[in-house]
Amino acid sequence: MILMPAAVLIMVVLGALAVDSAIAFLGEREVANAAAAAANDAAGAAIDLDEFYTSGAIVLSPERAQQVATASVNATAPDFLDAVDVDVSVSPAGDAVEVTVTATVRYIFAPALPGASPTVQVQATAIAHPEEAGPG
Amino acid sequence: MSRRLAAEDGVVGGLEMLAFGFLTFVVVALLLANAWGVIDAKLAATAAAREAARAFVEAPDAATAHSRAVDAARAAISGHGRDPDRMGPTDIDGAFARCERITVTVTYPVPALSLPWIGGLGGGPTITATGVHSEIVDPFRSGLPVDDQLGGDCA
Repeated sequence: MILMPAAVLIMVVLGALAVDSAIAFLGEREVANAAAAAANDAAGAAIDLDEFYTSGAIVLSPERAQQVATASVNATAPDFLDAVDVDVSVSPAGDAVEVTVTATVRYIFAPALPGASPTVQVQATAIAHPEEAGPG
Repeated sequence: MSRRLAAEDGVVGGLEMLAFGFLTFVVVALLLANAWGVIDAKLAATAAAREAARAFVEAPDAATAHSRAVDAARAAISGHGRDPDRMGPTDIDGAFARCERITVTVTYPVPALSLPWIGGLGGGPTITATGVHSEIVDPFRSGLPVDDQLGGDCA
């Protein structure tokens, strides 16, 4: 008879862990989408026009890439993500931009469990290259 | 005689514990299922917003951009096994112009279960799962105007 409360408790805790894991997965998907969109935007809108009109080379401006990527993530990040951080780096050749988005996700049920962390950190990185469009 | 009564008392107490434990289990299981439903709807809404934003910025012209975005959002919701007719209106903020940042918001209502003792999630009859995605219309596309506020060079 004593096993019944224990079994119920175990099932409840396991279910709570499953939902919290899904929350963490959702957060990972959100930062992955944000990073991909930010890298895509930066590769398209951060081209150094002065360099292009001077030499014809398509290179990215690091400052402009930082602005565009940060604006993109800020426009996309959902409210359940905390401490969102955007790290943008342009390759030395200027032909690739790498965006890393880090955020903290709040669990729903874990704060009620003793010893469990109430948050988890999620991170995603996306790389994009500007390419010259083909004919047409 | 007295020993038999004591045994009966114990059995009655155990059965009460079983019933209480079962009811607790059902309530918590419903709460967890409701939470999972919200998470699943959130995933669907996020995917719908992403597909709508992609369809909008890649549309051939402004006349079809909005309808293509709505169609893409509905297809994404349907692809996640949800009913697109229950989806909220697809909100698109931004104009179809070069360098313009557009932000698409898709909402999907999830019925909230009202549970004994703990009430339920959200505090209302429904919980709204929201997905947001933002993209820039290609600055080097031909045939589109440029946003004047950006100075003509997207800077």
